[in-house]
Amino acid sequence: MRLVGAWVSGFGRSCAVAAVCLAVPSTWVAAVALGIWWGAANPWSWPAPVLLVVVGTVGLARPVCQAVRRLVARWTGTRIPGGYREAGPVTRLSTGYWWNGFSYERTRRDALMDQRWRVRWRDPANVRDLRFVAVAPFTAGLVAAVPPVGLALAVLGLNESQLFARLAGALGLVVALAAAPFAWRLLEPVAARFLRPSPAMALAERVDELTAQRADVTVAQAAEIRRIERDLHDGAQARLVALGLSLATAQKLMDRDPEAARALMREAQAGATASLAELRELIRGISPPVLSERGLVDALRALALDSPLEAEVDVRGEAAAELEAPIESALYFAVAELLTNAAKHAHATHARITIGRDMAALVVEVEDDGRGGAEVRAGGGLDGLRRRLAVFDGTLEVTSPRGGPTRAIIMVPCESL
Amino acid sequence: MRILVAEDLYLLRDGMVRLIEACGHEVVATASTGPETLQALLAFRPDVSVVDVRMPPNQTDEGLRAALAARREVPGLPILILSQHVEQLYARELLADGSGGVGYLLKESVFDADQFVDALERVAAGGTAMDPAVIAKLLSTGSPSRSLDRLTDREREVLALMAEGLSNQAVGRRLFLSESAVGKYTTSMFGKLGITDDEDTNRRVRAVLAYLNSTTSP
Repeated sequence: MRLVGAWVSGFGRSCAVAAVCLAVPSTWVAAVALGIWWGAANPWSWPAPVLLVVVGTVGLARPVCQAVRRLVARWTGTRIPGGYREAGPVTRLSTGYWWNGFSYERTRRDALMDQRWRVRWRDPANVRDLRFVAVAPFTAGLVAAVPPVGLALAVLGLNESQLFARLAGALGLVVALAAAPFAWRLLEPVAARFLRPSPAMALAERVDELTAQRADVTVAQAAEIRRIERDLHDGAQARLVALGLSLATAQKLMDRDPEAARALMREAQAGATASLAELRELIRGISPPVLSERGLVDALRALALDSPLEAEVDVRGEAAAELEAPIESALYFAVAELLTNAAKHAHATHARITIGRDMAALVVEVEDDGRGGAEVRAGGGLDGLRRRLAVFDGTLEVTSPRGGPTRAIIMVPCESL
Repeated sequence: MRILVAEDLYLLRDGMVRLIEACGHEVVATASTGPETLQALLAFRPDVSVVDVRMPPNQTDEGLRAALAARREVPGLPILILSQHVEQLYARELLADGSGGVGYLLKESVFDADQFVDALERVAAGGTAMDPAVIAKLLSTGSPSRSLDRLTDREREVLALMAEGLSNQAVGRRLFLSESAVGKYTTSMFGKLGITDDEDTNRRVRAVLAYLNSTTSP
């Protein structure tokens, strides 16, 4: 029974592949048939078939490629990125005109329409799609057509009375039966080979990604510097002024009222202690001293000790030898944020930090025993974390089913030693 | 007392020397780098040394390393670490050898000269002087071991203050108890922790260490 099921599904898939891959050639066949029907001798009948070939090929190329991607993703799980160009924003200028990245238009509708056409027809992906619809019929399409053609042969041949036709029908049945489970499988390698974005397209995408990241970093950096400036201005600087004032007043009062002078001195001392505590907090937020003194692993140990959770640090192998300072700092603050989340939002009591290195990446994992339900929302804390890690091509994966536990995995690619 | 001052910033070193001399103690040597500190510690064997954590040549934890190395050579060599920040991690490393005679305080603890000299004297005598923040963090985290579970809340309070380095009298003042009441608590606490040494300082140090080591193992 299972064998029959596998055969039926294989046959169905082969038919689907054949239909998708042969869609474009069938327009060519239709064009040729049209030309013959009108009569090849009459030159006035030529433009219509030619138009049919051009429109059929160009118009169907992208839908066919998208359909192939969907089929491959559904059947084999292999995701082939499209790499098509995305339309940029359409903005209204102070002149009242609309700018779509290519031209100025009077109305938003015109701008959008114009943009859609230009993005569609200037896309370098079109060349690749055309190449695919030319290649696919003669490879995946041809092979996938074997089972349906064999079955058709069997149906036609076995109904005939001639021995030759019956033999051909039987052969067709055998071929159809044998080939059906496998015939569609050629689609995956062909699609993977010919539908991948070209290096130029991948580069263009990478440039977009880096541009967005650079903008993120610039904004974050400016905000951070402003925060530090404000903290220093309202905190330590103001306190030092107050300190100087107290000391100056104390000096004046020294002879006249020694008791008041002494009280002022005590006040000054308390002020100095307070501003030191403030500065210490500020410095911890910029670059934790233990990180520059001891490196990442010990800094994470110190973090675990300071955390309200019962946290332990597990180091696997030569995990964090010789990391760049900015990466160390990013990882430190990432773990700090994850621990805070675990304590504050997940109400966890235990956490485990594992740090190790696999073939090409440094892997830091934070697992807690909290109630889970954490998710990466646009603009949320985890999203910000992911963006900060992205600067180093790092990734953050969070699995957090309701009821817990939450498990966050940070990976930063690095040269394997 | 003969005291060593190891600090790389001239202003602070100078100020510290003046403060110590003003309190009637002798500064036998000063050091401004990690290697210098280690050399001076081993050469002079001061009664107590004041050592900064971060020092040249690498501006990492050279001072702390020098202190730990010297205490490996000379177990129990009294050292008071002064730093701009306190880390439980460092506190554990300092206390790990279990021989006492260590202190770990914030630099601003010198603002109160009397308390600072008091801490120096305690460390010189083989006691401890830990920053209250470290103790507070230890109190708020971790699961005390089974032997500490048997202590009452009051006994644990006394122990925490003892870990800061306070004498029975000072603990009593802080908790509004008489000195003899504090003495009773400490005796019952020593019994529960199974500490039977005769000498009081030693017992105090061992109780504190038992306490510190019981919280999340390093």
